[in-house]
Amino acid sequence: MITVTDVSKDYHSETRHIHNRVLSNVSFAVQPGEKIAVLGRNGSGKSTLIRLVAGVELPTIGSIERTMSVSWPVGTTGGVGGSMTGNDNIRMISRLYNKPFKLMRDFVEDFAELGKYLAEPVITYSTGMRARLNFGLSLAIDFDCYLIDEVIAVGDHRFQRRSHEELFDKRTDRSLILASHVPDIVKQYCSRALVLHRGRAKMFDDLDLAFDIYNDL
Amino acid sequence: MAFAEIRQLRRAFVLQKRIIGALFMREFMTRWGRRNLGFAWLFGEPVIFAVPVIFMWSVIRAPFEHGLPMIAFVWTGYLPILMFRHVTGHSIYAIKSNASMLFHRQVTPLDLFIGRQGLELMGNLSASAVTFLLFYLLGLLEWPQDYALFLTGFFYMGWWSMAVALVVAALSERSEIVEHIWQPVSYMYLPICGFFYLAEWLPPSWRDVALTVIPSLHAYEMIRGGLFGDRIEAFYDIPYLSLILAILTVIGLWLLRDVRKHVVLE
Repeated sequence: MITVTDVSKDYHSETRHIHNRVLSNVSFAVQPGEKIAVLGRNGSGKSTLIRLVAGVELPTIGSIERTMSVSWPVGTTGGVGGSMTGNDNIRMISRLYNKPFKLMRDFVEDFAELGKYLAEPVITYSTGMRARLNFGLSLAIDFDCYLIDEVIAVGDHRFQRRSHEELFDKRTDRSLILASHVPDIVKQYCSRALVLHRGRAKMFDDLDLAFDIYNDL
Repeated sequence: MAFAEIRQLRRAFVLQKRIIGALFMREFMTRWGRRNLGFAWLFGEPVIFAVPVIFMWSVIRAPFEHGLPMIAFVWTGYLPILMFRHVTGHSIYAIKSNASMLFHRQVTPLDLFIGRQGLELMGNLSASAVTFLLFYLLGLLEWPQDYALFLTGFFYMGWWSMAVALVVAALSERSEIVEHIWQPVSYMYLPICGFFYLAEWLPPSWRDVALTVIPSLHAYEMIRGGLFGDRIEAFYDIPYLSLILAILTVIGLWLLRDVRKHVVLE
């Protein structure tokens, strides 16, 4: 379970000497197996919230408790090294998370379908290819909760179908926090939605209602 | 200490060792990758720096100064300063430039620092070893009279470089000013660092001041005392130097502790 309690996050502006409050008094909980969407316009704090839950940034106020293992924020950047090849990234992640390299490589090879590109530096990949590598790497490690920042929507249909398979058919008991703009994907994956607006967050059990409100923002 | 705590400490140590190993490899791949010479660049880069400079010096200066062979004097001066400048110079934005690795919760800024600076340190130490052997085989350098002292000197030079790099790394993430002033500062440090003189050559009152305020001078004295033996009188104070470096290291670690706040993740 993940419990987010009264979390606020400020960023210090480098150019103007002020603090921007990106999130303010956000509270929610994620139960094992629960799939939650985070909706919000660009700059509403979706990625920030995901990083806070991942524990790679710390809240200014409030607390976040994790009693299950949580993935790193899986997006199109971050977590992998751009000038390293796909294979070297697999090797690095396998060492960081203490997983056998061969098993990880077989899984990523099969899931990401990058073929010979695994021997090329990640910096030469397209956004969709990076999404596949990043997501493949995180799926190769068994986390209880996956934090996904948009990447599913970036991929093509085949990738979307396979992601769905991995998260639903093979890992029904896993939790998911998914930041996305795309209604189709959110409805396919999630049962509840957290709508972010001006730093505030509200949880909706009804996805259609959540989208109505999101579209009116 | 309870048994369980020792086990826990050992587990943490093993975990950290694995993480630093992974970052070592990442740093290595990022800098030299799988292209052309690969790992040979680790010490190749510093060797390419050192060999021409030392030969140039040996041409423009007299073969002996103060009764010491010029090449040996320049080698003992230049290789350590090269290490210092490479290790500290690369420490600017050491955390920021690896920030994507902080996406993995178990990776700390200190791990990033050790991965990056450790590799730099190793490269420069192996360059010292390679050039030493090269010059020794060419008959340009003699075998150290007291190699334990010689190696101790390199150890302290490495520690001094890492301790300064730790402070520079942590401060550079806080303020861009560090990036702009570090080059001039390290230039001003060059004439006083111990490269160009022996403590023996200074008047006693100056010598005391120099040994008090310039930690690297002790390391230089050990390296040269080790190489030249009793042909020079080496001045160094290992307990004092260790204390100063320990204090500097603690300050650096303390500054690095909350550096995460200053690093913007992509």
